[in-house]
Amino acid sequence: MIRALVWKDLSAWWAGPVPFVVGAAFQAVLGVLMVNQLQVRDQAVLQPLFPVAGFLLLLVVPVLAMRTLAEESRTGTLDVLAVVPVSATRLVVAKWLATWLTTLVVVVPAGLFALLVSLWGDPDAGPAVSGFVGLALLAAALSGVGVLASAATDSQPIAAMTALFATVVAWFAHVGDEAAGDAGLLAAISLSERLRLFAGGAIDTGDVTFFLALTAGSLVSAAAVVDLRRLR
Amino acid sequence: MIRAEGLRRSFGGVVAVDDVSFRVDEGEVVGFLGPNGAGKTSTIRMLLGLLRPSAGSVAVDGPVGYLPESFAGYDALSVRSYLRFFCRLRGLDAADEITPALDAADLTDLARRPIGRLSKGQRQRVGIAQAIMGTPSSLVLDEPTIGLDPAQVVDARAVLRRAADDGAAVLVSTHLLAEAAATCDRIIVIVDGAVVAEERPGSGSELEERFLRLVGRAQLGEDVSGAGGPTDDGTDIARSTDSGAEQPEESS
Repeated sequence: MIRALVWKDLSAWWAGPVPFVVGAAFQAVLGVLMVNQLQVRDQAVLQPLFPVAGFLLLLVVPVLAMRTLAEESRTGTLDVLAVVPVSATRLVVAKWLATWLTTLVVVVPAGLFALLVSLWGDPDAGPAVSGFVGLALLAAALSGVGVLASAATDSQPIAAMTALFATVVAWFAHVGDEAAGDAGLLAAISLSERLRLFAGGAIDTGDVTFFLALTAGSLVSAAAVVDLRRLR
Repeated sequence: MIRAEGLRRSFGGVVAVDDVSFRVDEGEVVGFLGPNGAGKTSTIRMLLGLLRPSAGSVAVDGPVGYLPESFAGYDALSVRSYLRFFCRLRGLDAADEITPALDAADLTDLARRPIGRLSKGQRQRVGIAQAIMGTPSSLVLDEPTIGLDPAQVVDARAVLRRAADDGAAVLVSTHLLAEAAATCDRIIVIVDGAVVAEERPGSGSELEERFLRLVGRAQLGEDVSGAGGPTDDGTDIARSTDSGAEQPEESS
C-alpha cells in the first residue's frame, strides 16, 4: 500500500514543473556559492559544499513537502483515502518517502561537483561520502518536519512557512549557546552543528541518531495530527 | 448493511445531527434527502468514520465505496492511472476492475486524459468509477449526479441499481427529488439534524410535494430550486415532524 501511495505522489509531482524548477534553482545557487567558496579558499576541496547545500535544503524541502497532506486535506482526497482505508501512519510514511526521494533526486546532481573538484585537485573521498550521507540524513529530517507542517494545515503556504521557520531556527540554534556562553544544549539541536562533522569526513553515531530521531518524531507527530484532524 | 443508531453530533453547542437512526440493507438504494445544512454530510461522515459522533453508533459493512460531495481526484494523474492507484490500495486486480468501471461510468474514451483536464461532470464520473470498483458491500455517494447531463444521470442511476442488485447497500445523498424518486427504493428525509420521514418515494411529483411539506417552504428557495420548486397551493407549510409522522413506512 505504501508503495502505491509513493508511486502516486512521485507520478503526480514529476508530471508537473515544481521538482524541475526547484532542482534547477538549487543546483544553480549551489554552483554559484560553491565556485565562490573555491575561489576564496583557492583549494580543490569539497567540504564547503555540504553546509551550503544543507542550508539550501532548508528552503527546498518545505516547498516540496508543503503540498503532501495540506493539498489532500483541502481537496477532500484525504477522506477518500481514509475510507479505503489507508491508516494515518502509512499515509504519512508514504508522503515522507516521496518527499525524501524527490529531495535526493534534486541533490544528486551536486555529485558532479565532486567530479569537477577531482579534476582540479585531489580531494579526499571520505569527506565526500560522509558529506552526502549527512545531506541525505538532513533531507530525511527536513522532509519529516515538512510533512508534519503539511499535516497541520490545509494551506500550502502556511505549511511551507511553518517548516521553513522551524528548520531555520534549528539550523542556527547553536548561536544561542554562543551568545549565552552556555554548555551546548542548543548546539545539540542545531542542524548545522549536526551536519558539521559529516562535512569533515566523520560519521558520528550521535549525529546519525539525532537525524533519525528527528525524522521518526516528526512522522509520529504527523500521523497523530492526521488522526486528530480526521476525527474532529 | 449500513446502520446508524442514535447518532448525535454537535459543533460548539449547536446540534447538527440529533438522534438519527436508520438502516440500509443489502440490495437497497436509499435516498438521503434534506435541505442544505440539514445534517446529511455530517451524518455521512460519521457513517464513514470521518467524524466522531457525540453519541450513538454506526455499523457499515466493508469494503465501502465512497464518493464525496466535491470529488477532486489528482489533477496530474490520468483517469486510468487514478483507478489503477485505487486498485492497488484496495488490493484489487486492475486488469479485472478498471475496464468495467470505465465502461459503467462512460469514461472509456477519456481513460488517458489527466483528471485536471476533465469537466466537472467527467470528474464526477471518475469518482463514481472509483467508488464502484471491487463490488463494495456498502456504497455511500454524496450528490453523485451533480454536474452530469440527463443521459449521464440515467447511466448513473443504472450503475447504482446494478450495485444494489449485486448485493450492495447503497446510500445516496441528493437534492434531486425526481432523481431520488426514480432511483431509490426508500428515502430518508433529514431536517435540522433530525430524521422527519422514512418512506417509499412514490412518483417524482408526490415526493416533491411531500418534501416541500416536510422541510418547509422557507428553506426551499436556495435548496431545491433545481428540483421543480414549490408546489402549487401556495400555502405556508411549516416544517413539522408531524408531517414526517404521517406516513412512516418504517423507522429505526
